[in-house]
Amino acid sequence: MAHSQPAPSPSSPPLRTTPGAYPSTPGDSDAPTIVSTQLSLSQAVYQRRSEFTRSYTTKVKVGTWNVASLSGTEKDVGGWFVGGKGLSDTLNGLAIDLKNHSKGDLRRRSGTTDSVESVASQERRRSKKNSTLPRQEHVYITGGESIGLYVLGLQEVVNISSITTALGLDTDATSRKKWRKAVEEALPEGYELVAEEHLAGLYLVIYASPTLAPQISSVSTTSVGTGIAGLLGNKGAVTARIVLGETTRIVFVNSHLTAGVEKGNLERRNWDAAQVLSRTKFAAIADRSGVMEEFGEGIGDEDFAFWFGDLNYRLDSMSGDDVRRLLMLHTRDEYGKGQASGEQIEEELAAQRSPVSIQNGRFVDPTSEGEKSPAHAASTSSADSSPLTGSTSSGHLEPATDPASLQTTLSSLLPHDQLHAQMRARKAFYDGWQEGPIDFLPTYKYDVGSVGMFDSSEKKRGPSWCDRILYRSRKNKQEYEAKVREEREAKRADEEMRARGIDKEAEAEAILFEYDPETDADHDYQEEESSGVDSEVVETKAGFEDKLHLDSYTSHQRVLSSDHKPLDAVFTLDYEAVDPQLKAKIHQEVARELDKAENEGRPVVTVVIDHHHDHDDNTLEDVECATFEGVNFGHVKYNHPKTRNITVANTGRVQATVGFADRSIDEGHSTGVAPPWLSIKFDRLSDSHNMNKSTVEQYTLEPGDAANVELTILVGDIAAVRALNDGSEKIEDVLVLRIHDGRDYFLPLRGTWLQSVFGRSIDRLIRIPEGGIRKLQHQHPHGSSHGDEGVKWSAPREIFRLTEAIEELVERTIAEWGMRGEEAKPPWDDLVWPWAKRTGDEDCKDIKAVTNQIREALDNDWPIRQVLPIETSALQRLEAVAEVLLELLSSLEDGVIPEALWTQIEKAVAEHTNSKNYMSGEDERMQILEILSTSSAHSVSFTLITFMLSRVSGEIQSIEASSDPQEGYSDAASRSSKESTRPSTSIPDQDRARRIDREGTYANIFAQAMIRAPLAAKDRERKASEARRKHVIETFVRSKWDEEP
Amino acid sequence: MAETTAAPPKPSSSVKLVLLGEAAVGKSSLVLRFVNNDFQENKEPTIGAAFLTQKCNLPHRTIKFEIWDTAGQERFASLAPMYYRNAQSALVVYDLTKPTSLVKARHWVAELQRQASPGIVIALVGNKLDLTNEQSTEDPAIHGDDEGSTTETAEAESDGDARKISTKEGREYAEEEGLLFFETSAKSGVNVQEVFTAIANAIPETQMKGARGAGAAGGTQTALGAGTERVNLTGPRGEVGAKEGCAC
Repeated sequence: MAHSQPAPSPSSPPLRTTPGAYPSTPGDSDAPTIVSTQLSLSQAVYQRRSEFTRSYTTKVKVGTWNVASLSGTEKDVGGWFVGGKGLSDTLNGLAIDLKNHSKGDLRRRSGTTDSVESVASQERRRSKKNSTLPRQEHVYITGGESIGLYVLGLQEVVNISSITTALGLDTDATSRKKWRKAVEEALPEGYELVAEEHLAGLYLVIYASPTLAPQISSVSTTSVGTGIAGLLGNKGAVTARIVLGETTRIVFVNSHLTAGVEKGNLERRNWDAAQVLSRTKFAAIADRSGVMEEFGEGIGDEDFAFWFGDLNYRLDSMSGDDVRRLLMLHTRDEYGKGQASGEQIEEELAAQRSPVSIQNGRFVDPTSEGEKSPAHAASTSSADSSPLTGSTSSGHLEPATDPASLQTTLSSLLPHDQLHAQMRARKAFYDGWQEGPIDFLPTYKYDVGSVGMFDSSEKKRGPSWCDRILYRSRKNKQEYEAKVREEREAKRADEEMRARGIDKEAEAEAILFEYDPETDADHDYQEEESSGVDSEVVETKAGFEDKLHLDSYTSHQRVLSSDHKPLDAVFTLDYEAVDPQLKAKIHQEVARELDKAENEGRPVVTVVIDHHHDHDDNTLEDVECATFEGVNFGHVKYNHPKTRNITVANTGRVQATVGFADRSIDEGHSTGVAPPWLSIKFDRLSDSHNMNKSTVEQYTLEPGDAANVELTILVGDIAAVRALNDGSEKIEDVLVLRIHDGRDYFLPLRGTWLQSVFGRSIDRLIRIPEGGIRKLQHQHPHGSSHGDEGVKWSAPREIFRLTEAIEELVERTIAEWGMRGEEAKPPWDDLVWPWAKRTGDEDCKDIKAVTNQIREALDNDWPIRQVLPIETSALQRLEAVAEVLLELLSSLEDGVIPEALWTQIEKAVAEHTNSKNYMSGEDERMQILEILSTSSAHSVSFTLITFMLSRVSGEIQSIEASSDPQEGYSDAASRSSKESTRPSTSIPDQDRARRIDREGTYANIFAQAMIRAPLAAKDRERKASEARRKHVIETFVRSKWDEEP
Repeated sequence: MAETTAAPPKPSSSVKLVLLGEAAVGKSSLVLRFVNNDFQENKEPTIGAAFLTQKCNLPHRTIKFEIWDTAGQERFASLAPMYYRNAQSALVVYDLTKPTSLVKARHWVAELQRQASPGIVIALVGNKLDLTNEQSTEDPAIHGDDEGSTTETAEAESDGDARKISTKEGREYAEEEGLLFFETSAKSGVNVQEVFTAIANAIPETQMKGARGAGAAGGTQTALGAGTERVNLTGPRGEVGAKEGCAC
């Protein structure tokens, strides 16, 4: 009978037809684990990311402004930052990328320039209560609803020179509220605040459009103070990290670095930036399935970063005042006649002995350059309606090539820019940071309220591009790192070459000579300046392909409320965003696939229960047995082992580790892997055979391998026999065969218990009818009242038959021994014979077979002689019968002398021992028999046994006595000569002593088997009780000859 | 490969679930429907305890069910504690067409309440809805909520309705004991996903394997009463399944 549960998936193909289903190397433990975890789920979902992401394009506007804690600045923020206003046609026109504006736009602009408020009027009406932006302005910079993400970094929203602010003690949120209100009023409806962070004067806010906001997650903001003591917030950065569409990590850094023109200040700025980089840490990102990243990320782990703010880098090796005046040559044209600032600029310029200009980074006198003075050039262009249209009119040079144009001036100043120099020198912002082309005036420092008047105070600070917007993609950073690696390699190669010596110098030269400017890319200043403008595909950290394009980068010259001009940059970002619904769907699909793989990849075994039919079982097989799908042991008899085999075959595709599981039902109460009457033997060593015995033995099977398991039942425990006899227990149990990482197989066991005479009481035995106990097999266990009524033997026939057989067999054994004329020591030399159970010798097995037959005879009421195999010797038969008798007596529920009777006997014996009255053996025996006679069956049984013992002893004594003369001729001779000297050692005396010893031994053995004495607590009492029991039996065993005269 | 995915998973979110119930009520079929979305007529009885895993996506977490589908035959009943011990959830299944199976289900519920982990989430499931007249045309979960007795009468009168246990009877018993309650058909698939989703929802995060809240016991069962109502009254079936399906 076989039961094989189908594999979890019923469709799994048969092993043999699946090529490659077997692992190439048996025992290969590198097989991929089939158990899926959150991690493997995330990975599998990630593999299919292209299926649940969609491409999006949005615009990101980054603005930065140092507001110098001036009130009124907030009135302008909406206009320039959200509205894109505040540009100067002449001074910012250069910043507008022509490519990004249609000609229609330009025409419209040129046609309506007149309506834009003049600089003079704008400056005149300036107040802290209103926006300083020019009226009726046209918008050049993308703004409003076209922007998906507004990122604004402000510096000095509060006065940072105040110590309370620097210490961060200024908890007043009014200024921040004020700024938020100003921005929010300007933003189109529905924009949401997604991040906000502040540190002293630094303030960063990020707003997202209604369509973008739901895609933003994992927002983390932080701040780093690098000011006083390197820690306080008067300088430093506020930073935000967002994740867009679950794919794109973007970092925004708004920083205010150390001010000042000294060399030390420059180094401190670099230090500040390095501190911000190293100390910024964001919260860990959690994905949707709950997988957290182990550590928070810093700057550099993102896909896109934007670093902006008042970086405070200045123009090096230039006289600040010279730069001022040079630039004011351009700004003065903004003003009409009679305007205050305009006139002030004119005055200043006139006071100068000669106007200055810069070409190729050197100051030159513009007047010596020829007819076209910058002033002239400027006035020429101002006469034109717009400088931007200049390129279309003939006779005008392109601004970039016109030596007098603003663009030319800026280009000549830029090589002096500290930031660019530091980037090139790899001292700050070197690892991939990009900046758009600077074609706007320095953003610092202006007289508040002026469009173009650079610091007219006594300090006359040199104009600088303090305010900057840098950006970097993951790719930029990686390219930088690759370049550094390359350089390191090259340097090492150089050194190696040098080390190899002069011989190789020629080769080295040859290599140098091979340099071809066409193919060998020129990584130079140029690249760092402009390469970032082009949008390249950037592979994000999450493995998606995004693009970033800089659309515009410009200052807002006509914002008057601060001494810095605000600056902004607009970027177009193409990114992939997760569609949450699609992802959920894919997630489910993937989870399903993993589950399926996991369930199908589990080890599978097939359990086959080997067919087995006992010749003796068929007669009693009932219907239930025929349909039983477990291990059926058939008829189970007392102390009679029976074995069944099962085969456990690995029919799966992976290694299977099997073992029977501990079926402990209650905690702390182990029922073990099998019932006590069952032993389990695998045809191989367990996995842990050379280790400490583990709790449960396990066996590993390779696919296709099968193990044979032997299950052997042996009911030998008398308590179990009694329970089975009276039907309170059955041979029924379930083994649990556990497949590690797989299912459990239940293996039901059953057997039909055959009633046995063992383990019963004498009262029960005498009621067994003719035909034996087995006749009662299918009767109600307790229904003895009707079935066997009237049957009552004087003593159990089993005892009668066994004792009879023993008496007979002892004679025969002795006779056979004599006939064989064995030289060996006769078995009875051992006093214990024939009651000692043999172990280990060759006869043992034969005897075991005989004992089984004898038990069978007893249970079936067959004569013992009939079942004894002819081929066995009398000796073997005798020992077998003797063993069964002792077994039966020991198994008796009440014993031959039950406890109640024993207590009386013990008392009687004790009484006359104490009274010291002499009592003859006969009297003692009489007294004991009298007590026993209250239960005649016990009494008869007792007599049968003691009589038998006495006879056995007598037989042995007689054969020993008869063999004495042969072996002791010399003894006889010596006896005759020394009779007088050694009377005590006469042969009868020796024999007598030996017989006493033998009978004492018998008595000892049978006292244990026959008498049920109460358990004595103390060791001494127990020994005394044992001695009394032995004495009582001995009294009867010896009686036969003791009383003979 | 991006590093994102190399992050270690959260502490285990496995949930041990055991199925109990009389033989032939459809325990294995419910599992087969849930795990493979499949159905087999005349399935062989389970001799043993089948082990399967299945993930269930909730809005904010994914739960992995470790399902032990136990043999229903009476002679294996004594082995059940091996499987419900340490289980965080149990599905006690009966057959809507067989009154004795509900008696057996009650025994299992009582045993679980006595012996299993405190706070175990138990769902009472009446299976074989396809043999009743309700089939899958309407949501049996809402059936009989307001007019229980009317439904019962209607059922009794209909021809070919093998139903022997009314929705009302099952529901009232479940409410008394604070169990989740569903009537399902493993054959048609009605309400099968819903049972598992409801169990997943009813398991507080603190009850997850490895991070089991000790004090959560009493509160959980109380919360379940309310949970039953909520789950059962949640709109049309399809919607629930789509939103928070157990990888179906």
